[in-house]
Amino acid sequence: MLRYGLRLHRWGMLGFGLVAFLSTTAQGAAYLKLAGSTPAERALFVKTMTALALQLSYFLPLPRHLDSLAGYVLWRAWGTLPLVIVFWAIAAGSGAARGDEEKLLVESWLASRLSRARLVAWRFAAFGAAALVMAALAGGGTLVGAAGVETIPIERLAGQVLTLWLLTLACFGLVYLVSQFPGSKRGAQVLGTVLLLGLYLFQVAARTQPSLEDPAWISPFHWYDAGDVLAPGGTLNLTGIALGAVTLVASAVLACLAFERRDLRGPLFRLRARASRARQGGTSPLLGWPVARELYRQRWIVLAWAAGIAGMAFLMVGIAHGTVNALLALPGLRGFLGPTGTDPYRGYIALIWFGIAQALLAGFAVHVVAGWAGDDSQGVLSAELSRPRRRWAIVAERAISAVVAIVLLAILGSICTLIAAQQIGVTLDSAGVFRATAMLVPFALTFAAAGAMASSWWPRAAIGVLGLLVFASYMDSALGPVLGWPAWLVNLSVFLLYGSPLLTGIYWNGLWAMLAVVVVGFGAATLLMERRELSR
Amino acid sequence: MKVTSAIRTEKLTKDYGSGRGLFDLDLEVAEGEVFGYLGPNGAGKSTTIRLLMGLIHPNRGAAEIFGLDCRRQAVEVKRQLGYVPGEHPDFGGLRGREVVAYLGAMGGGVDQAWVKTLCERLKLDLSQRFRDYSSGNKQKLLLVLAFLHKPPLLILDEPTSGLDPLNQQEFYTMVREARDQGTTVFLSSHILSEVEHVCDRVGIIRAGSLVRVASLAELHDIRLHRVEIEFAGELPLDRIRAAEGVSDVTVEDHSLRCIVRGSFAPLLAVLAGAQVVNLSSHEPTLEETFLEYYAAEPKEPVAC
Repeated sequence: MLRYGLRLHRWGMLGFGLVAFLSTTAQGAAYLKLAGSTPAERALFVKTMTALALQLSYFLPLPRHLDSLAGYVLWRAWGTLPLVIVFWAIAAGSGAARGDEEKLLVESWLASRLSRARLVAWRFAAFGAAALVMAALAGGGTLVGAAGVETIPIERLAGQVLTLWLLTLACFGLVYLVSQFPGSKRGAQVLGTVLLLGLYLFQVAARTQPSLEDPAWISPFHWYDAGDVLAPGGTLNLTGIALGAVTLVASAVLACLAFERRDLRGPLFRLRARASRARQGGTSPLLGWPVARELYRQRWIVLAWAAGIAGMAFLMVGIAHGTVNALLALPGLRGFLGPTGTDPYRGYIALIWFGIAQALLAGFAVHVVAGWAGDDSQGVLSAELSRPRRRWAIVAERAISAVVAIVLLAILGSICTLIAAQQIGVTLDSAGVFRATAMLVPFALTFAAAGAMASSWWPRAAIGVLGLLVFASYMDSALGPVLGWPAWLVNLSVFLLYGSPLLTGIYWNGLWAMLAVVVVGFGAATLLMERRELSR
Repeated sequence: MKVTSAIRTEKLTKDYGSGRGLFDLDLEVAEGEVFGYLGPNGAGKSTTIRLLMGLIHPNRGAAEIFGLDCRRQAVEVKRQLGYVPGEHPDFGGLRGREVVAYLGAMGGGVDQAWVKTLCERLKLDLSQRFRDYSSGNKQKLLLVLAFLHKPPLLILDEPTSGLDPLNQQEFYTMVREARDQGTTVFLSSHILSEVEHVCDRVGIIRAGSLVRVASLAELHDIRLHRVEIEFAGELPLDRIRAAEGVSDVTVEDHSLRCIVRGSFAPLLAVLAGAQVVNLSSHEPTLEETFLEYYAAEPKEPVAC
């Protein structure tokens, strides 16, 4: 049964494991180039990174032991893995608790005399095994990245792997527990997201707010941050380990009790049924129109991303003053804010906010492609093709609805940016913001087009392939120059094709390249859709 | 080519390898008839339907619906038909009426009065979300979608799956009404009572090959009879076993049981002069005929 359970988590295990491995490997490999070899270089590196890290506390823990490769990798790679794990825990936890019920798997398992308690234990064990593989890959990547530079004791590495593993399991357990409350997988995903992101953001706030230090221990991300066993002089956070174990066991036990109590496919607490109202009308007219019907079906996804993008725009621009001042205080980091003569705030927004906007819109593109792949695997595509629809029209409708949604999100993000900038007394030129916004559209569409091609060819693998493409493209842009990769390889990154339109105008070569990928990608998707056979 | 066939296939083949698939299907379904397509699991029924629907592509051969090529003129074909798939699609959180609206719009609009009529007949509440429907209600929704545009051809794959007996009867009534209005129905099933209720002709598919097409009456004529004979004296066992059309002879005390295919005359000739106390002939149902058909040449079913 454990083997079957591992199979259920195999894509997450492999995908997130690969991300963890590549992340730790790449950061380790980049350390010498970034930090230098001499004590003086290292000291300067420590000073600048520490100052910068204060401004990046929303994303990274506060660094320690940056004078060593292990300390740097602990901060830069292991420190970002929790945010990655949040996504995996939400997907895996809600899927295990509710998704399998909706697929009628839980019924068949319980019908084969598996008790509810054993089922819960089995799912935790299966995910635990998958999480261990992921954590081990992170450890393996650390060793690979450090090879030839620094020796990392195995016991320290094992301690760090243990810490990451416990965090992953605790997050899964928390999502699995809250998933017992709503009656659907979607409700479980929403609750899980609210819970984990809430705990994560609580820890983010606690990083720079001493008053939150004590209550922050309720967040598993806090005790994960508190551990630094990987770095020289670091210690295994036994309190954190114990809290992680307690969180894990408590969530499993409470989830088991809740699962025993509730009906399958029902909420934990069922509200009294209201008298049914006659609801013969009320269908949205949007469902009758091409493109509009796609957007209507995706409306909640678009709204959720819109809220996220708006929130991030206000947050990132809101902290501009602190970050800019910190960077200006350090000569070595002045260059982060753009070429000499650039308004530093404009440089900050161009680099930081629009950099994050790129990541967010790439994430949205992946989410949209997941919907397309889902339509295929769930038989909705077959249902559409049983109507008089041309296959190329389906691809075209998907492409146009993606364009519309991405344009709306990009515009929203930029409007929020302008408002937030005005609130902190920063003036941005509208033309520049428009350029930067406009370039986000082909940027995100590049990933959507690649995803369309993948979902038309092999829907089951589309998300994994696209996610890997986004990750690889990001790593290529972030670390390629540092690691001295060939220019042609670095220039393959879609993130670099975007250029820096707010500062230096439109990067025309990049725009043509992105548009070419969009045309080729959706064109290939059309051809593949014409030829492919539908399994459902 | 004269268009008198609603469905016509010629050497239609889909080979999945290892003997799996559909092979050289030559089939013709006339306009206005209700054609039952029978076969065990994995025989190729759904593969045939998916080829007709253009969802998969044949390796060789051709399929036409009302003279239109199922692959090259797929969109025009879809305008002529309503379809119930063998598996439920998952429309997630959309309400039933939203599914009807969005798929109905793809077919050229929705007649709300007709939808209301269909839902009342099938007792389907369109205000519920698809994920909250029972299996039977999901099937009813698929039936509503198939009948939505009153198409000249209905292709139905296991259409009564999950329906309670009352709704099954209502479905049969709907099919008869559609036939009376000239609609052609291609109905794939493994439920023989369903076929007996509504079909004019039946095709039997086994291991990817069409083994028999006949009217219900013809199938009744060729089916076997289970005969039980009670003798007062000695049984003419050897002569009975040798009689034409007689098989599966078993004896218990003075009773003999056998199966007779075709004419009774050879058996009666043998029995002349024997001391027969009692003779009964049991006419099997179509199900027994069907099972006998598959038991006659045992072969592993081919998954398609």
